Amino acid sequence: MEIRRREFLKIAAGMTGGALLGSHGLDPMFAVPKEVIERMKFGPRVETWKNTTCRLCPGGCGMSVRLIDDVPISVKGNPLNPVNRGGLCPLGLNAVHSLYHPDRVQGPLIRKGSPGSGSWEKTSWQEAFKVISGKLNQLRQEGKSQHVAFLGSDEYGFMRDHIQRFAASYGTPNYFLYSKDSNKRAANFLSHGNRRAPAYDIVNSKLVVTFGANILEEGPSPVYYTKLYSHHNEQQTRYIHIDSRLNLTAANADRWISIRPGTYGALALGVAYVLIREELYDQDFVRAHTHGFDDWMDARGRRHVGFKSTVLSDYYPERVQEFTGVPSSVILELGRELGNSRPSVALCDQAALNHTNGTLTATAVNALNALLGNYEKEGGVYFVDEPPFASFGAAPMDGRSAQAMTQPRVGMPVEAFLPLQECSVKSFSENVLSGRPYPIDVLFLYGGNPLFQSVHHKKFAQALQKIPMVISFDSLLTETGEFAHYVLPDHHFFEAWDIVSNVENVGFTHVAIQQPVMAPMYDTRATGDVLIELARLAEGRVAASFPYGSYDEGIRRALRGVFESGSGAIASEGVGSRWLEFLKQRGWRIDRYSSFEEFWDRLTRYAGWWNPIRSKKHLRSLFQTPSGKFEFYSQTLENMIQAIPTESRDKALRRAGISAGGDTAFLPHYEPVSGESDLPLSMITYQSMSVGDGRGATLPMMQELFGHAVNRHWDSWAEIHPLTAQQYLVKDGEWILVQSSEGTLRIRSKVTEGVMPNVVAIPFGLGHTSGGRYARGHGVNPHSILEGKEDGLSGREAIQATRVRVVAEGRSEF
Amino acid sequence: MNIPERTSARADSRLEVREGMRIGAGLVIVMMGGALCILHASGCRERKVEQPIDYSHKTHVGTAGIACVDCHQSVESGIRATIPPLETCKGCHSDTPLTESPEEKKLLNYLANGGEIPWNKVYQVPDHVYFSHRRHVSRSKVTCQECHGDIASFVNAVSFQFLPVTMENCMKCHKERNVTNDCLSCHR
Amino acid sequence: MPKWAMAIDLDKCTGCESCMIACKVENNVAIVDPEQAQAGRVMYWMDMMTAYESEDTQVVRRIVPKPCFHCDEPPCTVVCPVGATYRNPEGIVAQVYHRCIGCRYCMAACPYTAKVFNWYAPKWLEDSACRPNPDVSLRMSGVVEKCSFCSHRLQQIKEIADLEGRRIEDGEYVTACQENCPTDAIVFGDIEDKDSSVYKLSKSYRVKRYMDDLDVKPKVFYLSRRTTE
Repeated sequence: MEIRRREFLKIAAGMTGGALLGSHGLDPMFAVPKEVIERMKFGPRVETWKNTTCRLCPGGCGMSVRLIDDVPISVKGNPLNPVNRGGLCPLGLNAVHSLYHPDRVQGPLIRKGSPGSGSWEKTSWQEAFKVISGKLNQLRQEGKSQHVAFLGSDEYGFMRDHIQRFAASYGTPNYFLYSKDSNKRAANFLSHGNRRAPAYDIVNSKLVVTFGANILEEGPSPVYYTKLYSHHNEQQTRYIHIDSRLNLTAANADRWISIRPGTYGALALGVAYVLIREELYDQDFVRAHTHGFDDWMDARGRRHVGFKSTVLSDYYPERVQEFTGVPSSVILELGRELGNSRPSVALCDQAALNHTNGTLTATAVNALNALLGNYEKEGGVYFVDEPPFASFGAAPMDGRSAQAMTQPRVGMPVEAFLPLQECSVKSFSENVLSGRPYPIDVLFLYGGNPLFQSVHHKKFAQALQKIPMVISFDSLLTETGEFAHYVLPDHHFFEAWDIVSNVENVGFTHVAIQQPVMAPMYDTRATGDVLIELARLAEGRVAASFPYGSYDEGIRRALRGVFESGSGAIASEGVGSRWLEFLKQRGWRIDRYSSFEEFWDRLTRYAGWWNPIRSKKHLRSLFQTPSGKFEFYSQTLENMIQAIPTESRDKALRRAGISAGGDTAFLPHYEPVSGESDLPLSMITYQSMSVGDGRGATLPMMQELFGHAVNRHWDSWAEIHPLTAQQYLVKDGEWILVQSSEGTLRIRSKVTEGVMPNVVAIPFGLGHTSGGRYARGHGVNPHSILEGKEDGLSGREAIQATRVRVVAEGRSEF
Repeated sequence: MNIPERTSARADSRLEVREGMRIGAGLVIVMMGGALCILHASGCRERKVEQPIDYSHKTHVGTAGIACVDCHQSVESGIRATIPPLETCKGCHSDTPLTESPEEKKLLNYLANGGEIPWNKVYQVPDHVYFSHRRHVSRSKVTCQECHGDIASFVNAVSFQFLPVTMENCMKCHKERNVTNDCLSCHR
Repeated sequence: MPKWAMAIDLDKCTGCESCMIACKVENNVAIVDPEQAQAGRVMYWMDMMTAYESEDTQVVRRIVPKPCFHCDEPPCTVVCPVGATYRNPEGIVAQVYHRCIGCRYCMAACPYTAKVFNWYAPKWLEDSACRPNPDVSLRMSGVVEKCSFCSHRLQQIKEIADLEGRRIEDGEYVTACQENCPTDAIVFGDIEDKDSSVYKLSKSYRVKRYMDDLDVKPKVFYLSRRTTE
């Protein structure tokens, strides 16, 4: 260790002064109020544990918080929680750091400067309520209550219902979610007739084929999947992962098949070809429960081409090889393995879906599961029941709100075409900027960070600036929150109540309780209670929208329904799913509570309730499609197109990204990646478990861990295959420029064989301009240079569809 | 970036000594002298601690016959013995004074005004030592007096360490009783 | 006298890096500043080694968690000039921070590069006496530190077992990395106890010991079906 001159002088000065030096004026990592420090120093060191649920990602893992003298010290996985069973991911383990983050918003703020300038002034809750409710009342009196909008994100507990109630009673149809999963929902709607995400019985499956679904890293609940994966040796489950990049799921799979971005659908259909040609599919299931497999005749006597003929004529392995870059022999092997090692299941997600043809890819993978006859079968695909929450009935509406609810929604595209489209950031921004169908005057932002995540961030920023009043509930400011006029900080999840139920893809009904483990440290308020307060201050009957006095009381009352249903059990020791099943068969119940109080007491102690016993569903009741069967040929989509006037049908199909004509348009098929440009490389982005959707970057420990596998810390990197690197004269570890039609990134290269040739892979999550001192100014945000493409059917942003070129910095022009 | 780049100053003055050694032989003496000064000044060995109330253990333990554990309640069950909170005092003291002592008046003032008595800590174990009262008192039956002295005879408030908290004193007793002297059994 | 050992099942491990963070949070390991982190001065007591290898025609990514191996004949302890690192009777190789002079001989001697040098001592809270986990002391900068098998947990568990007059049960003393591993790939326990799960695993045909030829007798062993290292 060297001592520099300056430091030496400091030491010498300190010595002669006869006193120790103060610190170097460096900031501490944590900020906590004085009284917490007092407790840490002089308390009796009494250790207690409290169970709650992690909210750093939508995964819904149970965590036990270790408290010493009532100060949270660290967390561990709650071994009783059925989702994570004691495991936790790196981000979850860092929860305490997010609680003590020095840049947390400590009280309501009002913005004084331009967005992003960071000049905020403190205000009081009373003052903020006065201004906001004044504005809300004014709009309502003018009959413009629909000018108020709510923007949320995917993961929600009880909050989604809560906001919906407020929006309905106040009178605005504009509550929309910035969702990552709209393409999955759209595909499920086409294939199954409902938008629910099914669960996959991975543990009992012999072969799991994941089409771009980075289940061990990105979710929906990575720890849940990791737990399931850990049984693959005893269960002898094989994993095959198909992806352009060797991510964590691929690294742990028995086989990684690399594929060109955006062509996953073609591969799925190539696999379907093998299954059909070699008669490896479940013929009974296909005959009885699917629609559109063979050629068929409709009610009006028109002949239609079936899935079978389309696949056999269009997706023979050699052709699929041309699309995907996967050798035809591999396609054959994959198809045979999938058909022969039953039960086998296929999943698709992230990398496969976030492309211009994402919804069609998902329908193709659904078609594979139908060919394998996987529905409601051990080792297959099934649907989980909703938890029996008590219902509060519809939110009461007066004439004003009822009238406003019939107005068109703002987040929808102006030219209405396919109802499969969900509200998107793009449409929202366009509508706000054009003022059509009507302007937005107040926007509430809860969760999510579209400005950082969205492809359309430029437009969205303009739209935010046009809205006269933006209110954010961020507890740690985000890029989007910087545009707010008011910040009404929510509690940290260690300080607040909520419930998380039925996390996507988790194979049983469950409710996880998020409860305060400590009193709020700062002048923050639960957003649920803020809405209740706003409803109370609103004119008319808005206050009646909440039949409960506070957010936590609402949760308690919702859970009374669970208690009264008498089903399931509190997640406590010794309550395995087999044991529960055994008891159920004999008509017994494991938990008998004399009162709701007793139930509540145990529920909060263990922080979870679950019901692993599914009501057995008949295959006929499973699908809500027009035919009541699994639809290869989507009548839903056909009916939508038929509803459009004849002359604009072609336009609508084009807008939906479907170029195939005739019956093929309504069958799962491969749409070539639209809008090819002259740029030679594809850019893909992915999330790591440590930083997730960008939230983890606010924590120093996660920043440090971010690129540990490639030896990059606090920084982004671009993975390039050695062949591609050679072609573009890029060396490992040097600065390169990645240029798309939208902009250029300066980033260090990482030459690795863990990525497909002609692909540049950049991790998502860094490159923040907000989010506290640890997030700002590290790495780059690959989403900032994405082309504004989208999946036509669902409106989901195509974050994997950007073309780029690379050059070593300072070497030459592009 | 606000991550601490490095910190040189800390309660532990031994590093100052070490850093000094690296700078140069000539400076070593100066620095060590400085470090020793600090050790002397900040060391708690001889320090007399002022207490807000001149609490008499003699009155409470010797005369009234209260046992140690009656007030220091977690001494048998916890890691820290803890200085009793005001709540404990309330058990005997109420609005009407029991004696005419001016010190009791102070206590009653605290009781009336709320808030804890700002006692100053006398015995403090360094951070890198795990010392558990529970282990020593409940398991090994070390009496309180062995470390804290014949507390029943202390007229004035505790203001200095009877048995200074040093590793030397720990080891002496460990050796006498043939207890482990493995570093990891106490250090962390 | 128990002898603590750890088994890491590579067939289960996914490389999620939870153990690294669980360890770092538990032991108050310093976070270094970004520039220094880039220079390779990051500190993990539980590290994760990643390697890309070609197997047949396929590229494979290997992920191996790496704590201190707590060798029975540790090469690091013999080179220490001040006796700041030693193997205790229960087999834990300990660091005595207050003795360490920061010469880093032990780091050079360790064949597994399990030790890290503490370049920085971060200030966690305004009051420098406070730290995230009060059970583990803060190291000053300029000393060598490494995985301690969470020996601070052993101190408390021993005490409780002692008070209750019984032996430490298998699975009672768990390390932070083991506790939070989502795949239960890490198993820790007393290898002298024939009923313990770590003992049973140590007799598995899948056992691999890294650099076995050095004969330092590491007490962390891996389980893997793969025949190659």
